[in-house]
Amino acid sequence: MPDSLVFPYYPINDFGPAMKGMVIGGLGIFHVFLAQFAIGGGLLMCYLEWLSQCGKSPDARRFVDNFFKLLVLISFVVGALTGVGMWFTSIQVSPRTIGLMVGEFHWIWAIEWTFFCLEIVSGYAFYRYGERLDDRSRLRLLAVYSLAAWFSLFWINGILSWQLTPGSWVETRNVWSGFFNSSFWPSLIFRTIVSMTIAALVACVVINTMGALDRAARTVLINQSARLLTPMLAMPLLGLWYFASIPADSRAWALGANVPMMMFLVLSIGMSLMIGLYAVFGLIRQKLYVNGATATLLCSLAFAATAGGEFVREGVRKPFTIRETLYSNSIRRGEVEALREKGSVTDDPYPLRHADALPSDQLRLGAKVFRFQCSVCHTLDGANALVHLAGAWSTEQKRVNIARLQRTKTFMPPFAGNPEECEALVQYLEWVVADSPTTWPVSDDRAVLARIQQGLQEAGTQPGEMFTHPARRESR
Amino acid sequence: MGAPFPFDFPLPTAFYLTLYLATLVIHVAFMNYVLAGSAYLAAFAVRHGRDSNRLTDHPLAGPLRDWMPFMLSAAITAGIAPLLFIQILYQRQFYTANLLLFHRWMAILPVLIVGFYLLYLLKSRIIGEASFVWRIVVGCGAFACFAFVAWSWTENHLLSLNESAWSDQYASGRLFFRDPELGPRLAVWFTGAFPTMATIVAWQWWCLARLGRPVPATANQSCTRLALSGLATAIASAAWYVENLAPELRDQLVSSAYRPYLAAALVGVILQAAGWLAGRNQAGLQRGRLVLISAGWLLTVVGVSVLREGRRLAAIDVTALYDLHADAATVGGLAVFLVFAALNAGLIAWCLVTVRRGVRNQAP
Repeated sequence: MPDSLVFPYYPINDFGPAMKGMVIGGLGIFHVFLAQFAIGGGLLMCYLEWLSQCGKSPDARRFVDNFFKLLVLISFVVGALTGVGMWFTSIQVSPRTIGLMVGEFHWIWAIEWTFFCLEIVSGYAFYRYGERLDDRSRLRLLAVYSLAAWFSLFWINGILSWQLTPGSWVETRNVWSGFFNSSFWPSLIFRTIVSMTIAALVACVVINTMGALDRAARTVLINQSARLLTPMLAMPLLGLWYFASIPADSRAWALGANVPMMMFLVLSIGMSLMIGLYAVFGLIRQKLYVNGATATLLCSLAFAATAGGEFVREGVRKPFTIRETLYSNSIRRGEVEALREKGSVTDDPYPLRHADALPSDQLRLGAKVFRFQCSVCHTLDGANALVHLAGAWSTEQKRVNIARLQRTKTFMPPFAGNPEECEALVQYLEWVVADSPTTWPVSDDRAVLARIQQGLQEAGTQPGEMFTHPARRESR
Repeated sequence: MGAPFPFDFPLPTAFYLTLYLATLVIHVAFMNYVLAGSAYLAAFAVRHGRDSNRLTDHPLAGPLRDWMPFMLSAAITAGIAPLLFIQILYQRQFYTANLLLFHRWMAILPVLIVGFYLLYLLKSRIIGEASFVWRIVVGCGAFACFAFVAWSWTENHLLSLNESAWSDQYASGRLFFRDPELGPRLAVWFTGAFPTMATIVAWQWWCLARLGRPVPATANQSCTRLALSGLATAIASAAWYVENLAPELRDQLVSSAYRPYLAAALVGVILQAAGWLAGRNQAGLQRGRLVLISAGWLLTVVGVSVLREGRRLAAIDVTALYDLHADAATVGGLAVFLVFAALNAGLIAWCLVTVRRGVRNQAP
């Protein structure tokens, strides 16, 4: 019942011309790259330390000590703080999403925290005392560090993959059903290989900075590190496995239904392919030497591939942030109907910041509706701007397309307001397109509102469908 | 409220409150070390910065400079757990305050990164060879970073308690929140950080002595002086804080729910003071005395943390949150968490033992 709905309104910030997704995406990509560097770094150092202790690589020990310093200086500082930053940024962008994730998975995060503690202690122990320890202790300490770092990936991977493929959690609300979801394993293995790749490429940069080694010694170390690039050969298969595990409509977005997403996917695959080919034919088969500049370029390609992959992973969840549960604009599926009756911003306690600049109450209502329902993904006239996307539509087209939003674009959530709010939003957009004049007529034609109401009813309150998801079919 | 905190709350609320406070206390230990340590190093750089050797040899500045990056790492890592549980306990309040402070709040992340690197710089050989001015810039810069973070956290916390101010705060677009509690509250945290830092440094010297390392003759006196000054100023700051509280909030702190914790905090202060005073003229740091001081510290920090929670609970309608806490308590994973917590605690202990054995074997 509408009156019983207590919607948790949060203050919504304006990020200016930047789309909120760009902010969280930018930080996320940076953090993921650093975190995967730390994970792969652990595996690489274990391997090289083992080679050193077997007598197969006389300079590996020196490399491990150098590499670990870099890891501590970068990953333990920026990596750790951008991790905390991901929480804070998620709160800024979508407090309800992160709130739901924490509510459902706080024990998983608590488990991950115990691994962070182990990672920090074992990492600093090695950093500080590694050079004074015997071989056995060194290797064991590195193995513990590496295990802790990898397990932090294991736990967070379950939460992130759940956002796209919550599986039977939707019905059971069982944390383990959600955690071990259909994309968990392909995603985990894929990320592990990416981690090894990043670590191997960064290692090539570090080795080039070790002036005490001659070129022959550096070549040996580079070729040994490059062995961690071999698992990249499995990436195409893992990619196919991953795509098979995600919902059909998400797959369709990435494979052509959404052009930017497809472009990012192609970019990611292209970059990975270039690195893979260079690694397999150049570094592993031909045992070529890679200088610092080339190694840095390869790292940059890996960063771009990570960025593309993360963009696609985030994008294919549309129109949800948590599939089948919470829409991108922080409205739960079950709340749409009540908000349509009550009005989506009727109880919003936060006033507009520049209300006086708007010439009528209708426009103020429209601005509030924009802030509440649209601003998480769209700006008014910056990145992914409504003015650019819908500015050319006629007034009637705007009414029809917004009222039937999930039918207009199936990656959009349904409009979750009443006809008056829809019309207010339409007028607000028209006003902005008209360069914000000081006066604007109020649109209160009952026939218009009745047409919008009809559009809302015809579109229904369920998400749009490219393909029918079993859970949705059941929920009808 | 009749029973002592948290026994008057429903089980899920009491459970999450306890977990939050337990993990907060761990965070406070490291956070205090960093806050007080960076302040000490900044003051030391200003006073003795011309002599680069003193920064290494001094019984307090030496270990502080050496251990600060690790302690900051530990403070951040330890801070993740209370940050997790606060999102279960006071989600709406915490998120809203974060959102209202916006850029100002998010600024703590780059500021912490800068502070982190300044600590590494302070530890490096480069700064020993740099000019006096650079030592001051780096030392004071690091402290300024952590002071900014402390100020931001306190302001965020106070804003989260003032729901009536949220709408105005948002409308105004202000990135600062002025509250009469801000100054005294910061003063309590800041001055209270020094006894914690002195206790940890004393333990560090004790461990080094056990490993056969030479301990400066003035180590005990330096720690004692700093701890006692910190305790005295913390008591004065606490009095200032209580003086600024509304009468109903003062009553809350001495209600039957919180009286045991107030008593625990006071007993803790007495134990700490007694421990430091008893050995002030001794040459070394005795284990028994450090255990007594640490027990006092624990009592004080637990007591103060619970009183802080009492202040928060007096400001919000916690009964409205009971259902959310009960919902969170139905989520699975606790048993697995306990297993991994025990396992990883064991592995952490193993790491420490391995390192100690390695260092002992290397010791002359």
